[in-house]
Amino acid sequence: MTAIPYSSSPSVHTSARLWPAFAVLALLWLVSLPLACLPGPVSLSAGQVFHALAAQLGLAAPPQETALMLVVGQIRLARVCLAALCGGALAVAGVALQGVLRNPLADPFTLGISAGAACGASMALALGGIIGAALSGPLSALHISLPGSAALVAPAALLGALLALAGALWLGRGDGGFRRESVILAGIAVAAFLGALVALIKALNEESVTSIVFWIMGSFQGRGWDSLPLLLATLVPGLAAVVWGWRALDVLTLGDEQAAQLGLHVGRARLWLLAGASCMTAGCVAIAGVIGFVGLVVPHVLRLVLGCGHGPLLAGAFFGGGVLLVWADVLARCVLDGGQELPVGVVTALLGGPFFALLVRRRP
Amino acid sequence: MQLKAPAKRIIALYGAFNELLLALGAGDSLAARTVADADIPGLAHLPAIGTHMRPNAELIVQQSPDLVIQLAGRNEALLQTEALRGLGLNVLIFEMNSFEQMFGVMEKLGQLTGREAEASKLIGAWQKRLADLEAHYANQEPVSVFYEVRYPNLLAAGRGGIVDDIMAHAGARNVVTDEKKLVRFNEEALLAADPDAYLVQRGPMNPDPQPLDQRPHYKNLRAVRDGRVLTVDEDFFARPGPRSVDAAEALGRFLHPQAAR
Repeated sequence: MTAIPYSSSPSVHTSARLWPAFAVLALLWLVSLPLACLPGPVSLSAGQVFHALAAQLGLAAPPQETALMLVVGQIRLARVCLAALCGGALAVAGVALQGVLRNPLADPFTLGISAGAACGASMALALGGIIGAALSGPLSALHISLPGSAALVAPAALLGALLALAGALWLGRGDGGFRRESVILAGIAVAAFLGALVALIKALNEESVTSIVFWIMGSFQGRGWDSLPLLLATLVPGLAAVVWGWRALDVLTLGDEQAAQLGLHVGRARLWLLAGASCMTAGCVAIAGVIGFVGLVVPHVLRLVLGCGHGPLLAGAFFGGGVLLVWADVLARCVLDGGQELPVGVVTALLGGPFFALLVRRRP
Repeated sequence: MQLKAPAKRIIALYGAFNELLLALGAGDSLAARTVADADIPGLAHLPAIGTHMRPNAELIVQQSPDLVIQLAGRNEALLQTEALRGLGLNVLIFEMNSFEQMFGVMEKLGQLTGREAEASKLIGAWQKRLADLEAHYANQEPVSVFYEVRYPNLLAAGRGGIVDDIMAHAGARNVVTDEKKLVRFNEEALLAADPDAYLVQRGPMNPDPQPLDQRPHYKNLRAVRDGRVLTVDEDFFARPGPRSVDAAEALGRFLHPQAAR
């Protein structure tokens, strides 16, 4: 496959030309948040939804029906906000990783983070069964059993993702800091090994296979406001690191030697940006499982619109990724009947795959 | 958990609980059902609220249930029920891996729906039938049995589920000794165990089991040569519920035709 070019000349887009595109993206994002609360398995009128949203924000008295407040304020709005944050973070991480590694195929999961998270979550899901079995003796006398591991899954996934990241960075380091090829190879090595560990956990715990498979497919079902602290704890530092390094991303596109001549400490900048992008990704995976294609497709689309300057790209990616994942999640929860859901990771892959293929074919 | 009054709007996220509640005569207290439970007679008209593994929080909240019941065991399902608890719903999680546990659940459901008398009557009748079965097969040599949960990637019923208890009451002995409910088993171990009889489950886990004489290695099994192979319905055998005692009686009749009751 031919690479989508990274212009090494200054962006052809002047900032004045970028404003309209930006305004449209930001407006889309802003409008999507309340609008995406309208559709769902429970049919509600726009009036009901907006009333509940206003009450949730403290702008109106809460409606009579407690169920309405729960459905809109606790379930839908929480999902929409989580999806907006995760989508934005994944797209920003994609921009950063593609820039740092100057590789159009790089995505937020390049460093084996998804496999690390899957490994952590699988251990929690399977171990929970073992702990549960140990507790079930005394508890079954009371005909009660405890959900021991449910609360452990997200932290375990986060830990797994961060350990995978650390492993990949440690493997990928060299004398002159981080060479691009070695980082990508290190990510592949880590992912392959951890993928095998997940398979081992599945093989040893037949009872947990379904849970693990479900978790890995990625979903916002059952996630609520209580997921927000863990997500923000990774997103804020990760975003800060990437935004802090946006100029370094521009300089890195010139090639390592030229960047070094311009005074950039290439190895350090690369580590900083890789760690930031991956930290965000780790948080997203821990909350929602593995959601592919957002971090791959959004940066490429936005490059066509916003050019290759990383400042505008990063900001645009946050809005663009957020909008994409919010509406993908709407599809995920509305497309089947009887309250069944598609995993949102499946929706993004179904939308993203063909779209990406088109993009590759249509490039001049 | 203490309910101030008998539960009037129950949502059970696993079919067996619905079957038990229907057996109690508490069908009117069921507010909704999972997609899969449309097959249970008398539940098709209820609104669907997602699946056992992924119950839909929105639709459940809309029903304002006073009690949600889930089966222990699958962690993904428990993640989702934790989310329901977070929304302020009463969620009870029960284990049902033996007759003993199932009777305990039945007793609890009787209390929760204000039908203690019906529950203890049903439990008493079931216990009597099981005791009769045990007495009937006490002098028989137990038949060694293998229970296939899934093929290919052969998966067996271990000691940790209701299937093992059904065997124990039907004059049978499970050749799989692992304590887990589901056990991966290889052909070598199966040939070594060489059970007297072979049970094949047909259902969601094993939708279209290949006939045994068409499988590699299976022709060498004594159960296949002797024709002691029985295909059983997954819901009937592997789902603990009001019909589990019937399953034990049916298995006894199949394994001990000479001593049929």
